[in-house]
Amino acid sequence: MSEKRVKVVKLNVINEPKDSYTGGKSSLCPGCGHDQISNVIVSAAWDNGLQPHRIAKMSGIGCSSKTPAYYLGKSHGFNTVHGRMPSVTTGANVVNKDLTYIGVSGDGDSASIGIGQLIHAIRRNVNMVYIVENNGVYGLTKGQYSATADVGSKKKKGPVNETQPIDLCAMAINLGCSFVARSFSGSKKQLTALMKAAISHKGFALIDIISPCVTFNNNDESLRSYGYVKDNQAELHSVGYIPHFSPLEQVEVPAGSYTDVTLHDGSTMRLETISEDHDISDAVAALSALHKADAEKKHVTGILYFDGEKPSLDDDLELHDTPLVEMGEDLLRPTSEQLDEVIASFRG
Amino acid sequence: MDKIVNDFTINIATANGTGSQSANLILLQTLFDMGIPVSGKNLFPSNISGLPTWYIVRLSEHGYQAPGDRTHIQVLVNPATWEEDLASLEPGTVVIWNMDSKMAMEREDVISYPVPMTKIARGLNPKLARMIANVVYVGVLAELLGMDQEVLEEAISKQFGGKEKAIELNAEAARLGRAYFTEELTKTDSYAVEARDVEKGAFFIEGNEAIALGSIFGGIQMLGWYPITPSSSVAEGIISWLPKLRTHEGKATYAVIQAEDELAAAGMIIGAGWAGARGLTATSGPGISLMQEFIGLAYFAEVPCVFWDINRVGPSTGLPTRTQQGDLTMVYESSHGDTKHIVFIPGTVEECFEFGWKVFDASEKYQTPVFGFSDLDLGMNKWASRGFEYPDESIDRGKVVLTQEQMDSIENYGRYRDVDGDGIPYRTLPGSGLDPILYRGTGHDEDGTYSEKPDVYYKLMQRLGRKIDGARDYLPAPIIKEDAEQEIGVIFYGSMENTIDEIEDIVEEKSGKKMSTCRIRALPLHSEVEAFMEKHDKIIVVEINRDAQLYGIMRKEYPLHLLSKMLSVAYSDGMPPRGRLYAERILEVLEEAEI
Repeated sequence: MSEKRVKVVKLNVINEPKDSYTGGKSSLCPGCGHDQISNVIVSAAWDNGLQPHRIAKMSGIGCSSKTPAYYLGKSHGFNTVHGRMPSVTTGANVVNKDLTYIGVSGDGDSASIGIGQLIHAIRRNVNMVYIVENNGVYGLTKGQYSATADVGSKKKKGPVNETQPIDLCAMAINLGCSFVARSFSGSKKQLTALMKAAISHKGFALIDIISPCVTFNNNDESLRSYGYVKDNQAELHSVGYIPHFSPLEQVEVPAGSYTDVTLHDGSTMRLETISEDHDISDAVAALSALHKADAEKKHVTGILYFDGEKPSLDDDLELHDTPLVEMGEDLLRPTSEQLDEVIASFRG
Repeated sequence: MDKIVNDFTINIATANGTGSQSANLILLQTLFDMGIPVSGKNLFPSNISGLPTWYIVRLSEHGYQAPGDRTHIQVLVNPATWEEDLASLEPGTVVIWNMDSKMAMEREDVISYPVPMTKIARGLNPKLARMIANVVYVGVLAELLGMDQEVLEEAISKQFGGKEKAIELNAEAARLGRAYFTEELTKTDSYAVEARDVEKGAFFIEGNEAIALGSIFGGIQMLGWYPITPSSSVAEGIISWLPKLRTHEGKATYAVIQAEDELAAAGMIIGAGWAGARGLTATSGPGISLMQEFIGLAYFAEVPCVFWDINRVGPSTGLPTRTQQGDLTMVYESSHGDTKHIVFIPGTVEECFEFGWKVFDASEKYQTPVFGFSDLDLGMNKWASRGFEYPDESIDRGKVVLTQEQMDSIENYGRYRDVDGDGIPYRTLPGSGLDPILYRGTGHDEDGTYSEKPDVYYKLMQRLGRKIDGARDYLPAPIIKEDAEQEIGVIFYGSMENTIDEIEDIVEEKSGKKMSTCRIRALPLHSEVEAFMEKHDKIIVVEINRDAQLYGIMRKEYPLHLLSKMLSVAYSDGMPPRGRLYAERILEVLEEAEI
């Protein structure tokens, strides 16, 4: 015994090792941006001290949607059908509002086949994190352009894309989405802070993450290659996150100007100004930032828009505090006297 | 001339959106409350206002509920269909017609009662004249046939529950209609009504509302739906009753979402089922078409969820406000690949209620999508009922593992492992922390892990087949009425229940042949159906579609020696089944088969 080396296992706030948050081995291409994002999901869930079994991981179809197998192995998940993850999550969410729903999707899944479901989930403000692993191409079917491919961008094979892309963040802002962020799979620090903040938010939190496809769209002419995005990222601010269980006053105050945003669970999102202020409650400013970056062929990242007050779907439904799935026959089946009353009302 | 009492059909031709539906329901309710066996069929257009509508009221001492073969009393209000309606009448038909419609009465071989309906209504209330004119014809009919004024006024007051002004106005319109007939016309026809013993406690209800109530007593937790005729009243019935029946401490014990389309509605109830709740959607054929992909997911990933198909006429948009049994094959084998589903098929409003709650138990027991299959005729017309029986079994959540103890007692647990040998595996719920898996629509092994291995896929599909097959005798048994001779056996289902007695009587009257009947109430077929087939020399499968869908299913599933005795009568024209049409076809196939 004494000869065995003691390995110190770091535990999080609920005394869980990080291993409790990891998943199976990835079968994606080596170097895929999606794997970085999976790692960020693991870190964020661990750092935030979520109970692994109280998370539900949801996905549609595509490279991105395979990733739930690679993280949070102790969580139930549902790899549904193409573009339809939002509706399945909506149904699960309203019958068990107490779980943390993390949905992962791709640009084909979200901007093409599933754009209708995405729009309506935003409109209802379903309480969930919605991650788009956005690389501008369909990977599993071997490299066709998706609806988010930038004009003037060229993937490894085929012509330059001339079709106008759909900007999911701009769309979400126009729909009144309560949390809209864009990030880059290569910006681990920013992405982790945004992921944690999205988990702490109550309502629909969209994180559109540029996640380069190393196989089909990582060439020099691509506007979504790793190198291009790294060099052409326009950060709105530096994003920090202070969890609700860490006293805010013990966190070092930044030297420059900053804004603290209190999230639903009491955690804080700290936005430090880089060059100019961005008001996250101003939808026009958010859209302006997107259009400006677009004109300059840059990718704006950070939190674009935030509304912490908007009621989420489960609020709107005026559900009982006990999640519906925990209710027994006494609450779910009316009595025989009630049936008699119903019938009496028909007899008039 | 002999009186014809309580045995004739009234056809009322009006325009949609003019308030005629209220007047017709008052007429129906009055006859019902006099104890006369009566049924009403609303033939309405896919339109809000203006297109033609017919309401058929059939009085039958035999209790026949089909629309009947001919019209005995025609009410003509709608100029748009006037000529065609008039031309279709047999000589001697009674015609009550609106003199103010600027249309001519060009038949001399009918019994004509002209009534200035609009003028009378205008005299009472010019603004509402168009609406009230309908109640004027109800008054005329009441006087013509001898309906009790007191019962009529009670029916008016039921129809306009609580709205005093409307009740008074309509009652007066009915009185004026009566008075006009007495003062200006002379009865020359022989039709009359006579009160019968009123069945105590009987009431009218539409099948869809009965399904709605059944769902609520079945513990529905999530309704995801998208409006479509003729199913919307299932969802709307659920929505209207839920707050009264399912509120706890002032809060909802249910969630209702009107989805953006049928795909999303299906996704939502599958999400609810995956999370461990009872989800339901109600739709019609076009909606089921859109839901196919999701139905396959629920079948393959083994997620409970309930779909009600209130069948309308297909294909495509078809005749959206007409009735058919044209979706049976589609629901039974919904989605791509090899699939097969449990289908409950009610034939009465009592069964709409009963199956309304039973579908949830079946769905959770077998961890699979379960269908309820009704149609516009049963769903949207009012049917007499004596009452609904309170569920006689507790809610069955099926093989859900809720605790670690339970989990430990299962030997070699795997989400998709057939531990008990019945094809039904155990499942755990999200949030429980017990053996979580990633549910998927892709191939998977017994632990739920992705697999493309031939033997894994083969075994999985065999188990799924066995699982659904094993439900046969758990599902509602057929209702069998056996004739002593056991020569001819008729197999039918669903709303045909309301025409079958008349079909039998006509066949016997014309050929002297008696038939046994077997009403199927679920798929996959109960073993008693096969036993019924064995006993009879010839089997005729009668259904409301073109392609003989149940007949096709049976031919696929039954042994060769049974196939040779099977005959088919499949007919659909959008109308609720009329007895004579089917009886004649039955006689034809019997003749062809030399019986």
